[in-house]
Amino acid sequence: MEKGFQIVSTLPIWQFDVLLLILVVLFAVVALSIRNLMGAAVVFGAYSFMMCLIWAGMGAVDVAFTEAAVGAGVSTVFVVSTLYNTGATMHRRAGGVAFKLFVGVVVTVAGVFLLSALPDLPDWGDPDSPVNAAVAPYYITHTIADTHVPNVVTSVLADYRGFDTLLETTVVFIACIAIYSILRVDKAKLETGEPAAAAVPRYDPGDSLIVRQASRFMVPFMQLFALYVIAHGHYSPGGGFQGGVILGASLILLAISFDLKFLLRQWSEKTLMLLVAAGVFLYAAVGLACVFMGGNYLDYGFLNSILPGERDMARSHGILLVEIGVGITVMFSMLAIHINLASNGRFDRGL
Amino acid sequence: MNTFITAAGVALIGLMLLVLIRAIKGPTVIDRLVAINVIGTKSIVLLLFAGILFGQLEMFVDIALGYGLLNYIVSIAASRYYQHRKSLEPEHSPGGSPVS
Repeated sequence: MEKGFQIVSTLPIWQFDVLLLILVVLFAVVALSIRNLMGAAVVFGAYSFMMCLIWAGMGAVDVAFTEAAVGAGVSTVFVVSTLYNTGATMHRRAGGVAFKLFVGVVVTVAGVFLLSALPDLPDWGDPDSPVNAAVAPYYITHTIADTHVPNVVTSVLADYRGFDTLLETTVVFIACIAIYSILRVDKAKLETGEPAAAAVPRYDPGDSLIVRQASRFMVPFMQLFALYVIAHGHYSPGGGFQGGVILGASLILLAISFDLKFLLRQWSEKTLMLLVAAGVFLYAAVGLACVFMGGNYLDYGFLNSILPGERDMARSHGILLVEIGVGITVMFSMLAIHINLASNGRFDRGL
Repeated sequence: MNTFITAAGVALIGLMLLVLIRAIKGPTVIDRLVAINVIGTKSIVLLLFAGILFGQLEMFVDIALGYGLLNYIVSIAASRYYQHRKSLEPEHSPGGSPVS
């Protein structure tokens, strides 16, 4: 256990870390002070990337992967497609000196409180901190024997802490439903109502041959890589969340480079929403199957009568099933959120 | 070797900052798009450098690939946005410069 940490600590990387932390603060300030919102979106992408490097520096490679995929990748696309419908110029609100003063006081007081709590935090990498002293040694020493999964993060996420991940997946599902219910416009209402969609000046979509052909070439590669990320999450950073995001992003790429209609011909609205729910359902059903086999909820070891291998291998296979469920939900949630944001809930055309 | 990689990483971050100025200031859309692309490409190399520094290159290759693929989408989305919303002329705002 100590050997793994030694490698990291002997490297001359503190200059790297100091530089990164300075850059993170700098990017945050710049992103808040820019008035052009497209510029702010780009700076936020760079900010996320710096956070990704910091996570990697702490040895949290899985988190770094998630940050790179979600923070720097997909969320920037979401922001851009939102700006497509709202416009990128920010209008400064006039007046309100008292309000500004009030906000300033609140922020300062909250900041002072946070800073005063800072000395109570354990040191970075402190072996005696509660996190490292209580359950982490058990996970690190027992993972291989229990689950045959070399990547401890994956086994903790999907097995030891399976309930947390089930509810996290549900959160993604609920977020998708919430965005859907806020933005989606009723079709019957749309036909009688405002013809605003036609008023937006636009060029012929998908008129660039280069972009189309490049995307056509890229999409299968992306999907293959995403499947690798999901399936190989047992051995390397990755898993259902990251792979699902990349899968969803490959379909978003199709929607952007071709047309929303092109995508919706293959994945109708109904199929999309069914699949968003199907992922969570798969996860919950695997848990329920364990109950029927005589174990606790999400205790994959009891699946060994229907899955190949002994109890430890059954846990490994159970983790894979659950990761696939997470991947399906995340993939189609990303797609549904993007379509809603890009087409302003009309599902006809957009970014 | 590690010192060299660290120095190269720091130099890359410095270059990214210079490009970022172009991305924020503009003045034309092409400037911004190219700047976004350059930042993304440098980020991939920076991730691989970090992988060499932390001695886990095989893990960072995955992250770099994922980042590269998603960065491509961001570039396409940004250029689509500008194709739909703006002309390729310098943006003009009341204050003269596009950003504060």
